[in-house]
Amino acid sequence: MRKKSRKPAVLTWIIVAVIYAAVFAAEQLLPPSSMLFTVLKKGATYALVAVSMNLLNGFTGIFSLGQAGFMMIGAYVYAIFTIPAESRPVVYQYYDGGLIQFSLPVVVALVLAGLAAAFFAFLIGLPVLRLKSDYLAIATLGFAEIMRVLIQWNNMGPLTNGSNMLRLYPSFNDFNIRNANGEVTVYLSTLVPFLIAGVCIGLIVLLLNSGYGRALKSIRDDEIAAEAMGINLAHHKRLSFCISSFFAGVGGAMLAMYQTTVQAKFFTTAMTYEILLIVVIGGVGSVTGSVLSSFLFVAASEWWLRFLDEKQIIGSLEVPLLRNGFRLVVFSIIIMVVVLFFRKGIMGTRELPDLFREKRKEAVK
Amino acid sequence: MSEMSEMDIRTVPDMKTDGETVLQLDHLTMQFGGVIAVNDFSMHIDRGEIVALIGPNGAGKTTAFNCVTSVYQPTRGRILFHGKEIGSERMHRTPDRITALGIARTFQNIRLFSGMTVFDNIMTAMHLRRKSNLFTQVLHLNGEEERKNRETAWKLLETVGLTEAAEELATSLPYGKQRLLEIARALATEPTLLLLDEPAAGMNPQETDELGQFIVRIKNEFNLTVFMIEHHMNLVMDISDRIYVLDFGRPIANGTPEEVQQNPVVIAAYLGVEEE
Repeated sequence: MRKKSRKPAVLTWIIVAVIYAAVFAAEQLLPPSSMLFTVLKKGATYALVAVSMNLLNGFTGIFSLGQAGFMMIGAYVYAIFTIPAESRPVVYQYYDGGLIQFSLPVVVALVLAGLAAAFFAFLIGLPVLRLKSDYLAIATLGFAEIMRVLIQWNNMGPLTNGSNMLRLYPSFNDFNIRNANGEVTVYLSTLVPFLIAGVCIGLIVLLLNSGYGRALKSIRDDEIAAEAMGINLAHHKRLSFCISSFFAGVGGAMLAMYQTTVQAKFFTTAMTYEILLIVVIGGVGSVTGSVLSSFLFVAASEWWLRFLDEKQIIGSLEVPLLRNGFRLVVFSIIIMVVVLFFRKGIMGTRELPDLFREKRKEAVK
Repeated sequence: MSEMSEMDIRTVPDMKTDGETVLQLDHLTMQFGGVIAVNDFSMHIDRGEIVALIGPNGAGKTTAFNCVTSVYQPTRGRILFHGKEIGSERMHRTPDRITALGIARTFQNIRLFSGMTVFDNIMTAMHLRRKSNLFTQVLHLNGEEERKNRETAWKLLETVGLTEAAEELATSLPYGKQRLLEIARALATEPTLLLLDEPAAGMNPQETDELGQFIVRIKNEFNLTVFMIEHHMNLVMDISDRIYVLDFGRPIANGTPEEVQQNPVVIAAYLGVEEE
């Protein structure tokens, strides 16, 4: 049997290590208010969510649009279980300090956030995964909307704080190490989200490279053949759905940490579309692509294209069209261009190590 | 056109043989709305046999295959595998469970996993027989199993002569080789009964000849029983032990290649009866 070259894997590890080192170094050297860190934190969060969506849409071939719903469950579970007991009366001011009167460590709450999302995925997966393509998308979209309304329901108040926001739980900034005077000695507020996302994406990559990953890809490629090769469709689809939702839940918890407040009305369908967009731009079926395009997307929307929303005056001339909301118009145009001319996205189905390999023969079709 | 209508076709009963029956169809009927695709079809296959199912286009051959593999649930009748019922109007099993019992198949219109390499196509078919669970697989703690599977997959590629193309995308292979890969992939599920749906479709006479020898070879090497649908009569006559003929869903003849070849009903079904 031929042996595979180890060079691509080694190079990939080096690149990942360099990125992490660079993030750590930048954080110590640049002012923490730099826009770069906003982009990196939100980018890492979106990267995880996009990869989890890609696991479902790109690798298993299940077109689900429930991502924002599962993120919301994750965000709420994280926030509910980590608000310090002494802050609860302030947060739950309309509900007598709320139902839960203890708080869990951050890591435990993160896992719990994922498990809660996966549990809901399991429940709705039972009926919904029997549906195909568009119908499944509509059903999952509906689920996300129902959850959003349910969480804001007044009777849920003692648990979810109704339509009021949850706050005062540990956020990314709480990961910075401070000395006795409260001054930050080591900045970790960007590295920690990178680590959480890195571990989760690493697990997804391990899954994709295992026998189960092959089984999921075979379902994407040809359901009938996969079933004929002994792959239990219902079981594997449910598995993929739950795992994807687990990581969407963790991603939701990260988003909660990034934003420092959680409110159900924030997790709209538009958020799911944003993530879908990231997946499509990055390449449906490429983890690397999803990660890359998450950072590009967040950088563009939060930073590089911000100027489109404000009046710009060059010399004595006011640039036409620029006003609040124009950014979204430009964004839509970019999307259309990508979908029309770069349908495979940035990476197609290739991954980072593939870039160091000799080219494979393309399919003749 | 044939003057013979559906009404004139007589169902020919199955003939007993001496061997150990592996697969048995017992008065199998498959109806789609008003269309009876398979009509009261009884047949059996003994261990180690190569049995061919032939008939004009639309005779119901692939439907019969789909009933055996549980893609369809038969309207009436039973399917028995080693004497145990695996399909009937009451039973609804998903096809993967039939594969788990040891029945593997190929498809008339090739169905390879297009986004995967040749090697991964075969590895995927071994997923079924793995003992390791999700946890050990994700953490790659099943090294020994993975190594064994890779060896087996490599041997299967050697069997079909595709080792050179192992890392290429399955769909980049020429047509004939895709058919061989499909057979190799089916073998990777460790079947005892192999169903081949038109394995020689699209092959030239020389390739068809080689395919015939190949089928006999793997049958012996892997201790298989083979049930195949085929249109290439040379191949069918060369390697089959027995043949069943379907026409308009009904079994119109069965027997050894010689018997079937000389059967006037079969000739009529294929060529049409002379018009008055």
